[in-house]
Amino acid sequence: MDCKEIVEKMYLYLDHEILTEEERRAFEEHLALCRQCCQKYEFERQLWSLIRQNGLGDPIPETLLNRLQQVIASF
Amino acid sequence: MKTKEERKETFQNLLVPELGALFRTALRMTRNREDAEDLMQETIAKAFAAFDRFEEGTNFRAWIFKILTNTFINNYYRVRDKQKLPSLDEMEEETAFQPAFEGATPEEALLNTLTREDIIKAIESIPLEFRTVVVLTLVEGFSYKETAEILEIPIGTVMSRLHRGRKLLQKALWEYSNQKNTEKENGREWTVKKS
Repeated sequence: MDCKEIVEKMYLYLDHEILTEEERRAFEEHLALCRQCCQKYEFERQLWSLIRQNGLGDPIPETLLNRLQQVIASF
Repeated sequence: MKTKEERKETFQNLLVPELGALFRTALRMTRNREDAEDLMQETIAKAFAAFDRFEEGTNFRAWIFKILTNTFINNYYRVRDKQKLPSLDEMEEETAFQPAFEGATPEEALLNTLTREDIIKAIESIPLEFRTVVVLTLVEGFSYKETAEILEIPIGTVMSRLHRGRKLLQKALWEYSNQKNTEKENGREWTVKKS
């Protein structure tokens, strides 16, 4: 796998999507040897992980939970 | 055949673990708490009314998210909320990197300066069709296939919307980060001049 393919496949790899076992291995081998791709990958990995962690905030308010419980009880 | 009470219990058991994720998604879609709460109530009422048609053992999570997104599009998404879709050129355009703080690469500076507020603001700034795909896959962890099922669009469309959504989100985040660095630089100049 070359650098161009790494860029193309990076999001599929990060999202755990449709890479074959062979492609996954080739991807990881390239990252281990190519500093530039490895840095790019690390940045993308950290960025999307930060977005996910922060996107997962906003706990459901107690008042809404009570309201929903009442809705369900009324069924 | 289940009694109404048994049906209600099964529904509740499946629903409760999803409430948090449904609420977050409702918030990102409506972009305001009041509408998000109403959307939740409506989604749950509709889901229970349709629960007879839900096949037990299939993907309840995807099923209820489909009801949430459909309810939102049908009842909450008004013409005034429609955002102008950015052109492909605008999306591909890279944001120029401002010199970051000393010793850090622009990427490190970005990761270090972003706050939760920036991230939520950036997610909510992107047009709905990209935002929904970003939230479902990147935040809530649905697979491309599940997202395609929820939104009733082909998987290829999920992938292209996700790609563009990522670009738009990154662009917004770089802009916030650059803005902060510029403000910081200006602040530093001001301090130097004052002293």
